[in-house]
Amino acid sequence: MAAAGIQLHPACRVRQEGFGLLFYDSRGPRLLFAETGGLLPPDFFAVSRSRDELPPGLNERQVQVLGKFMTQLLERGFLREQPIR
Amino acid sequence: MSNRFVEQGLRSPVNLTWEVSLACNLRCSHCLSSSGEAAENEMTTAEALDLVAQLDSAKVFQINFGGGEPFMRPDFEEILAACHGRGIMTCISTNGTLLDAPRVERLAASQLVAIQVSMDGARRETCDAIRGAGVYDQAIAALKLLAASRIPSSINTVLTGQNAAEIPALHKLAKELGVSLRVSRFRPSGRGAENWEELRPTPAQLLNFSAWLSESGEVRTGDSFFSLTTQERQGLGLNLCGAAKLTCCVGPTGNLYPCAFLQTERFKAGSLRESSFQEIWDDSEIYASFRSLRIHSCEECQRFDQCHGGCPAVAWHLKNDISGGDPECLERCVTSIADEAKAAVA
Repeated sequence: MAAAGIQLHPACRVRQEGFGLLFYDSRGPRLLFAETGGLLPPDFFAVSRSRDELPPGLNERQVQVLGKFMTQLLERGFLREQPIR
Repeated sequence: MSNRFVEQGLRSPVNLTWEVSLACNLRCSHCLSSSGEAAENEMTTAEALDLVAQLDSAKVFQINFGGGEPFMRPDFEEILAACHGRGIMTCISTNGTLLDAPRVERLAASQLVAIQVSMDGARRETCDAIRGAGVYDQAIAALKLLAASRIPSSINTVLTGQNAAEIPALHKLAKELGVSLRVSRFRPSGRGAENWEELRPTPAQLLNFSAWLSESGEVRTGDSFFSLTTQERQGLGLNLCGAAKLTCCVGPTGNLYPCAFLQTERFKAGSLRESSFQEIWDDSEIYASFRSLRIHSCEECQRFDQCHGGCPAVAWHLKNDISGGDPECLERCVTSIADEAKAAVA
């Protein structure tokens, strides 16, 4: 079985704002304001990645917080899980 | 919805309404922009394509096309293709009369478009009285074509006194057709202002609709009824006016406004023929005034956190006061009915 990867849902978009990331889900439509500052660039979500992958250079606390955040994005449908080929 | 981030100001709108033409083959009595003939000097194809590029640079997520009837523009599909080529999501508000199977097939290929077909009554007589003879049947035909495609589609109904009792039946009709229902607020602009007294829903109808809406979570409203939103629908959308904060409007000649219901010189934020989209979004005094607008007269209201004074456009059209508070909010509907009852007793 192929490993599961995560990627931005096709119905969703994300962009950088001063506070962090702004997610848009056209299915609602609904918005998600994420105070991530500059820790996660929007194009991080453009390609399929493994669930626990995060940008390099983060400290332990940041890894913990962003890890939880990625799980929330998945649960709320902004990200979707798919096989990594 | 976090008002804190919205009030800080976003780098660009989340979505915007683009009225690509005033040309329309119908003459609906509630039309917000008095559409009919095309406006003089509407944006050229080159100007429209340049705007798409600007909106892409600004990272606008979605463009909601309206008019007029967008498909009256011969280059409309070219404009759409430019949006989709850049990954911009689109939603088209159409009367459905110019949709045919080949066009629906072409639109579906993008997978980035949603379509709303206007229909103002579950009964043919009700709908055609507002939109014109034969339009109900044409809208149904368009919706059937769309339902058979991959395009997310909906019936879009403007709530009026004439169709208020038919909204549940419209919801049923939408389900039967395999599309969703979106209900929009009737506002007194364009021909809607001329026919306001005849078409406006009564406070009792608005309250009934609010109650029905609270039990109909899947019905969309485009956030146009946040002033009537009950506790049950909190969290499904905005709790404040998004004009100039989350959204804005581009008119047919390239003028920018806070919203589609305030397309007058008084509220013109700028012209794309004189400034870039980003310059207008960042620097317009009109937009700045909407971002700092506070409806102080509503601050003591128990529902203030749920609507923040409601729709400034309705306040402007009915009271000539942008900060006067929404005359048709839930609280004022209740008060109005109570006052009428007292007057009847007296």
